[in-house]
Amino acid sequence: MDKQIIYKVPGGKLLKIFLSYDESSNLIKDICITGDFFAYPEESVEELEKILKNKELDKKELMNIINLFVKDHGVEFIGIDSSTITDAILEGVL
Amino acid sequence: MSEQWRFLLTGEHTAVENMAIDRAILVAHSKGLVPPTVRFYTWRPAAISIGYFQRLTEEVDLDACENQGIDYVRRITGGGAVFHEDELTYSIVVSEDHPSIPKHILDSYGIICQALIEGFSILDIDSEYAPINDIVSNGKKISGNAQTRKMKTVLQHGTILLDVDVDKMFSLLKVPNEKIKDKLITNVKDRVTSLKLITGNPVSFDEVSNAMKKGFEKTFHVTLEPGLLSEDEQSLSKDFIRECFGTDSWNHMR
Repeated sequence: MDKQIIYKVPGGKLLKIFLSYDESSNLIKDICITGDFFAYPEESVEELEKILKNKELDKKELMNIINLFVKDHGVEFIGIDSSTITDAILEGVL
Repeated sequence: MSEQWRFLLTGEHTAVENMAIDRAILVAHSKGLVPPTVRFYTWRPAAISIGYFQRLTEEVDLDACENQGIDYVRRITGGGAVFHEDELTYSIVVSEDHPSIPKHILDSYGIICQALIEGFSILDIDSEYAPINDIVSNGKKISGNAQTRKMKTVLQHGTILLDVDVDKMFSLLKVPNEKIKDKLITNVKDRVTSLKLITGNPVSFDEVSNAMKKGFEKTFHVTLEPGLLSEDEQSLSKDFIRECFGTDSWNHMR
């Protein structure tokens, strides 16, 4: 299943997520996180997208993965955070 | 005697050239080849730049751009799509370790925007920083800004709107929901302003340039010495045009 999710982040930024997932296993097949936000270093978002592949579409699991990623890679998001990314992704599968 | 930074007035360039020059200054300064630099510039033809994380075809009507002779390019900075036509665009490149640059990224947006606010004040326009990355006057956006940090170096660039044509802008940008496009345009017209709208008269690039130059000098306690792009920077710019900004793989990357 392919979904395009448009998610208005509190504070004004707009996340547009292109999500491909397997309905039977509930796993992410592919994801592209786009939008008018800021992230430092910028290249980290591509890394995050790779890490999210084959992960379960589950709120707690996604939050943990993104939080850990942010901590391990010293990522700073501005305009979005791990919770808004998670909520946006899950909005696509509800 | 105050510290001297370099001041570049590079005039009109294409979108691809402009983004390549900003990146070349960033790289050259990170290698210690050139001083901290403030650059003012314009775009010819008019152009749309998209933020690093945006998908080009999601944001920009490429057929409309082609029909109207409008350039497009992906920036190395995040943020949103911007239509660059009648504006002064600035960039500042300075080391992350410079004492004037706060470690915290949002704070550094604030201080760089303060330079513009000082400039507006010289033009008798009250304005304020509206985090994350805007400057507003009377509640309406007059400037948008975007920063990246690479190789221990800050690059922030942004726009100062001399005039704004919201209808033209929306003929080039895609909107998430076509059904509410008219409402969105009205909304943006209510939320965006320009120096021409505020003062009731056209304001020249030179007038704004002089004011903003003083704004940077005052805020950073420096003297901006007019200079030129170095040979290294010109050569780097050409490399970046060929390998990055001028390529489909970059502009359609996401």
